[in-house]
Order: sequence, then structure tokens, then C-alpha cells
Amino acid sequence: MTPQSFKKTGLALLVLTALALPLILRSPTYLHILIMLYLYAYMTTTWNLVGGFAGVLPLGHSVFVGIGAYTSTVLWLQWGISPWIGMLVGGCLAGFVAYLIGKPTLKMRGAYFALATMAFVEGVRVIVENVDQLGPFKLNGPRGLNIPPLPAGEGSLLAFQFATKEPYYYIILFMLMGVVYLTWRLSRSKLGYSLSAGGEEPEAAEALGVNVAKCKVTAMVLSAFLTALAGTFLAQMTLFIYPKSVLTLDLSFELAFIALIGGRGSLAGPIIGALMLRPVTEFSRIYLSATLPGMHLILLGVILIVVMLYQPRGLSEPLTRLFNRLQDRICSTKTGGAK
Amino acid sequence: MSLLELRNISMDFGGLRAIDSLSLSIDEGQILGLIGPNGAGKSTAFNCVAGVYRPTSGEIWFDGANITGAKPWDLCRAGLARTFQIVKPFASKTVLYNVMVGAFARTDKTDEAEAIALDILKSLHLDHKKDFKSGALTIADRKRLEIARAMATKPKLLLLDEVMAGLRPTEVDEMIDVFRTVRDSGVTIFVIEHIMRAIMALSDELVVIQFGRKISEGKPEAVAKDENVIKAYLGDEYVAS
Repeated sequence: MTPQSFKKTGLALLVLTALALPLILRSPTYLHILIMLYLYAYMTTTWNLVGGFAGVLPLGHSVFVGIGAYTSTVLWLQWGISPWIGMLVGGCLAGFVAYLIGKPTLKMRGAYFALATMAFVEGVRVIVENVDQLGPFKLNGPRGLNIPPLPAGEGSLLAFQFATKEPYYYIILFMLMGVVYLTWRLSRSKLGYSLSAGGEEPEAAEALGVNVAKCKVTAMVLSAFLTALAGTFLAQMTLFIYPKSVLTLDLSFELAFIALIGGRGSLAGPIIGALMLRPVTEFSRIYLSATLPGMHLILLGVILIVVMLYQPRGLSEPLTRLFNRLQDRICSTKTGGAK
Repeated sequence: MSLLELRNISMDFGGLRAIDSLSLSIDEGQILGLIGPNGAGKSTAFNCVAGVYRPTSGEIWFDGANITGAKPWDLCRAGLARTFQIVKPFASKTVLYNVMVGAFARTDKTDEAEAIALDILKSLHLDHKKDFKSGALTIADRKRLEIARAMATKPKLLLLDEVMAGLRPTEVDEMIDVFRTVRDSGVTIFVIEHIMRAIMALSDELVVIQFGRKISEGKPEAVAKDENVIKAYLGDEYVAS
């Protein structure tokens, strides 16, 4: 067995398992946890396009989630436009907003960019919380927007509402696979090389013909577009959105936590991170939200500190090493046996 | 025909005039050395040409176009590449990756970029280290990598900023070979260097600056005998009277 075919087999097994899981796992609660896990893995992967490859630390990605969620919901509630179309409109709007914020702020270095993105998301949240009607759009201020559910037991693809969890599971699974594939392609393209180079040594990259600022803005727009798609998904999952659920720093921080712990700039990092951290968040919300609300952020902080102390590049690095060792062992025993 | 021409450029940092109406020109295929004592303004002159600074006054012409104040990435695409005095490898990436970043200046396709990069690495005898992390290279190899990356952008003119500083004598000899390889491939070289043995052996022409002003220029042998140059480097008492 060659290392190549070993990797392919592993990947195929992983995908098959993910596809087959709902057949085995019938409990809606567990399916819900898995859906949220994939959703966070998805959002962190899109975050990673900027936060990982471009070497800056965006802490305001929830603004794109919020734009996606609000756009599709408003279009559906007021004009009956299918959330699928709303999803794309939201994505484009988020991309446009990302261009407007990215253009001036991506020139800033390090913490300044992080602070600017944080300030922006807070600003948007405060505006949305205090505005009931923005032009023709009804935002309903802090009360948020309710999507009236279809009659019990009914589902509609057009309305992006389903009676069971399984359709949601497959939609987000395909979205996740798509975005991981896109990231993989991107990391092997000119833009990927330029972004990594510009993130590591901007001056050297510029001398090698890379317009670093332009590359970063491109990555930011792409990332915002994809992140907003997750916003629509979240809105259709929960059927209720309000500023504190989709436009908060909590969400922005959690994405950064997942990426940092899993491994910034790596393909597997966001998935490993989500796999590690989502259960922590879910279970601390289930068991501790009554007594210690917000405990999950403290727990994430502690985990982040421990991981940063011992594996500053995140958990994907030691896990990759482990995988490679396993691969070497299996591949060499197979060829050894053939001799 | 001159490939690069500096016309009376001056550069001020606040009240300090780092370069004072400097003019020079490099012909195609030449190696021009820029030397001068510490703080003479050599690197500032380089940075003006490379688009890092915009000169306070004067014009820079490259390949028949006025490039004064052009951005580094545009200059690179126009055929002007540079190395840094303090090497700046993309340390977490492999040697091949580093060179491919440069190769992408001429192509959009990943496999083409890889082919260009491998060619360059082979010609500079770095191909056996292509999978090394560039942060783990020796200083000599890092300097070689700087040149490889710059060469991958297929430049017409290469600006080399003290690529020999910190090298052992044997490594300097290897680097001189690298320079010759580069020149023989048709690239014009503009070089700042402190190691006299190397720059005397390499340069077709030398320009000497002090306090931002040109004090001498010409063939290396002639410059070495120039009174002004001896004064600048060694002091008044060493001038043979």
C-alpha cells in the first residue's frame, strides 16, 4: 500500500462514516450536537481562510454570520423569497461588507486588526438591537426574528425547513466537505501561496510580486461570503435569530478558539478543534447554564492556555505526526510482507 | 543602453538627507557594485529603487519607463527583483515553497511554478534541500535561497543587498560562483557588498558613495586608487602624497 492510497482510503472511510452516521445514530439530540459540530467546523474553516492563511486574527466573523442569517430571514418573512436564494444574497452582501471593512483594516498589523474587527461587530450588534425598522427591512430590534415553523411533520426544500434532523445533517455535511475541498484547492493555488507568504513575511512577499494587501482583501471577501452561508443555515436550524445569538463576540471568539486549538492555517485544524471543543460547549451549556452561565468560555480559555503552552501551533501538528507514523508503519509492513 | 538609471535622486528622512542628488546608470548585462562606508546611504538607495521608499526628489528609470514611486510588487512584475540584507525566508515553509512564491510572479499555474522553481534550485545547487524547512537552513543556504527566490521571478535586474555578509571565505567563493551563474543567464546585477575581495572580483563598474553623495566611480582598479575613496575608508593620513 502506498502512502497515497493509504491517505485516500482513510479519507474515504471518514466520509463514509460521516454519511452513514444518521442511519445508526437515531437520537435527535445527538444528531443536533453533530450538526452543530459540523456547523462550527464549517465556520472555522471559512475563518481560517483569513485567520489561518493570511496570518491575521479576525475577531469579528460573527458579523458575517449575522448578515447571512438576517438577510435570508428578512427576505423570507417579508417577501417569501426562498432562503436558498436569501443565502446567496446574504453571502454577496457579507462579501461586500468584508470588502469595506477589509480595505482599510487589513493594512493594520497584529492586534490592531483584531481590535478593529471586534469594534465593528459590536457596533453592528448595537445598531441592530436599537433599530426596529431599517428602511424597508423589519429587524425587530433586540426581540429578533421568528421564522414561523411549517405545520408539524411537514418539510419543504424550498422553505429550507425539514421535519427531521437528517436533512439538516446532510446539508451541513456537504457544505463542510465543499468548503474543506475549496480550502485544499486554494492552499495549492497562487492565491494560497501568496497569502501564506504575505502572512509570514509581508516585505519579502511584496518584493516577490505579491500584492499582499489585495490578496488579504480577496481572502476576506471569500471568507465572509462563505461564512454568511452558515448564518442562513443557523437561522433555518433554530428558526429564531436575535442580535445576541448571531452577532456576538462570543461566537467570534469561539471560532478563533477552535482554530487556535485545532491548528491555525491547517486543513484539519478547524475540524479537530470543533471535534474537541463543541462537546465541551454543548455539555457545559446543558449541565451548567443554570448555575454557571458562560462557563463554556472559561473552559475554552483554560483549554486554549494549556494547548498554547504545550502545542503552540495547535493540536493538528502532533496529530499529523501521529498519522504519518501510523502511515509509515502500515505502508512499510505491507511492502515488507511482499518481499 | 542603460537598464537602470537614477537621475539626481535625493532622499530625506525628516531633517536628515540620506541621499544627496545621486545619479548612476547600469548597462544591460553589467554587474555594478555600490560601495561606501557604513551609513553612506547604500541600502537607502536600494530601497528607493526597489519601491520601499519614494525618493524626495529625482527620477528612477527602468527599462525605458519611469518607475519613481512604483510599488514593490509592480516592480517585480516589471522585472526588478531584490534580496534583503537581513534574510526574510518564509521560515515555516519548505525551500521549494519559498521559491514557488517567487515563480508565481510569472505564472498562475501551480505545476508551472513548481517546474520553474525546481529549475532555479537546480541551477543554484539547492535542489537536494528542496524539502527542508527554510527556517532550518544555514545562513549561507538562506542567502542562496534569497537569490533563488528572486531569480524565480525571472528578473532583468537583480538587486543584491549584502548577500555575502556573515559568510565564511569558502562560502564567499561559492557565492561568487552563484553570481556568475546569475549573470551568465542574462541578468543584470546591482550589488551592495562589504567584502572587497568579492566585489573587486565581480564588478564591471563600481560606484562609491559617502554621506549620500557619489565620490567616485569607474573600473574597480581605478576606484581602489582614488584618493577620495581611500580618505573615506581609511582617513586622510593614508592618502599617498
